Amino acid sequence: MRPLTLWRYEARRAGWAALLGPPIAVALGVAAALANPLPGDRNTARILLGALEMAIPLAAGVACASLVGRDAAVELQLTAPTRYRITLLRRMCVTLAWTAAVAVLMAVVLIATGWWGRWPANHGAFAGQLTWVAPTLGLSGLGFAAAAVFRSPAAAGALVTTLWAIQQFFGDFAQQHRAGRLLYLFATTRGSVPGDWTANRLALLGAGAALTALALVVLGRSERLIGQEDE
Amino acid sequence: MNLSTFGASLRYEFRMQVRKRSVWIVPALSVVLFLLIGGSLLRDLFDPGERSAEARVAVLGLALQIHALLSIGFGCLLADRLVRDDRLRVAPILDATASSPFARLLGKYLGAAAATAVPIVVVYLGFTVAYAIDTGSVAALGWALAACGVVIVPGLLFVAAFALAVPLVMPAPLFRVLFVGYWLWGNLAGPDMMPTLARTLVNPLGGYAFESLLDFHGIDGDQDFAGPVPGAVLNFLRPAPTPATAWLSIAVLLALAAAVLAGGHALRARRTR
Repeated sequence: MRPLTLWRYEARRAGWAALLGPPIAVALGVAAALANPLPGDRNTARILLGALEMAIPLAAGVACASLVGRDAAVELQLTAPTRYRITLLRRMCVTLAWTAAVAVLMAVVLIATGWWGRWPANHGAFAGQLTWVAPTLGLSGLGFAAAAVFRSPAAAGALVTTLWAIQQFFGDFAQQHRAGRLLYLFATTRGSVPGDWTANRLALLGAGAALTALALVVLGRSERLIGQEDE
Repeated sequence: MNLSTFGASLRYEFRMQVRKRSVWIVPALSVVLFLLIGGSLLRDLFDPGERSAEARVAVLGLALQIHALLSIGFGCLLADRLVRDDRLRVAPILDATASSPFARLLGKYLGAAAATAVPIVVVYLGFTVAYAIDTGSVAALGWALAACGVVIVPGLLFVAAFALAVPLVMPAPLFRVLFVGYWLWGNLAGPDMMPTLARTLVNPLGGYAFESLLDFHGIDGDQDFAGPVPGAVLNFLRPAPTPATAWLSIAVLLALAAAVLAGGHALRARRTR
């Protein structure tokens, strides 16, 4: 199989939600910015960066939470020379690559139009990309790990959305302690201690990597995958 | 509609759903996350220095937080219930039987929703009972049951109808993303910030019921959850909170749930024709 054919196949297997989620997230973020009647460019810029930091990672996280448990005959996948967990990792990479393409496009447009700079805590055009990279990888790792452990897109998706919502509803309480601040998803647009930003972004990247590794370890136990599904 | 089909579908769907591990794991982990973050009423409820002096305020505040948070997992868990029959290819077999499709749908709706709501009600009433024992306040139980009746049950029925029907027209994961976005926007976004359904009659968090039926205005008594906001769009959907408008809000939520469910039924009937 030619590599391109393979990746196109994996992109289709990642599902419509992985394809449609990030553009819809951007569209809703822009709509919210346009509908915002509060005076001042600062508020509008915050909502636009918020779409990058909040909406795009949520779409990617739920898409990654829905990767395990989609294949009808997983037994056949387990007999293939390519390990099934590598197949799933490919689908996660496709999902994240598409998310990144949409996010970079939005970031470039924001930088070119000057909206990026109107939010004071933007951290520059280069390092500032961690605004969306860190929460996207953190939530995607959580979604993938939860999917591997529960083998249920419903449960994994519910956990990702609940964690995201808790941090939205209780942003102040979530940042009262340093541990909570390090794992807070929205430190660029709602961070309470600006000095913690870099450590927060690195902690989220680390958590995402650790959770993805955990998912790969769990998925390596193939007998779990052919057990009774949590339908 | 065939009552025996409805009853059988309801019983089966309830038993199937209530035995799912994830239906219990998701609310349990949500509560753990909630406790870890701190500042939630779950902890303050047992701290004499922090909790509200009035049992009614304490348990209604708890109802608001539990409902706001656990309803998200509730909607996400129910999102695959109706499309599951198609995915497992049992829908055509069920359609070939003499049973009424609408009776089956209604049974699935109420059965799956009730089963997924069991852990939420267990968490809420569990904390309320512990609080009642801790403080010796029996009235807390009555207020908790009232909150279940006029806030939690109508809100969850509203969410369940959308969670079942909307994945017929979009992938379930996409519904989950849009649902949590809606939940934040439609319940918490300030009407002065953007056009939103928050504080309107179409508020599944139960703003009107909290205000007018339960006389709850936040833990500190300084919040209001329903009614018009000067200069906001959609104020025609925000009449002044009274007991009548609170019952109207509940009726609107249930009517919308019924309409969405009927729409889902019509869509399925059209596809299988």
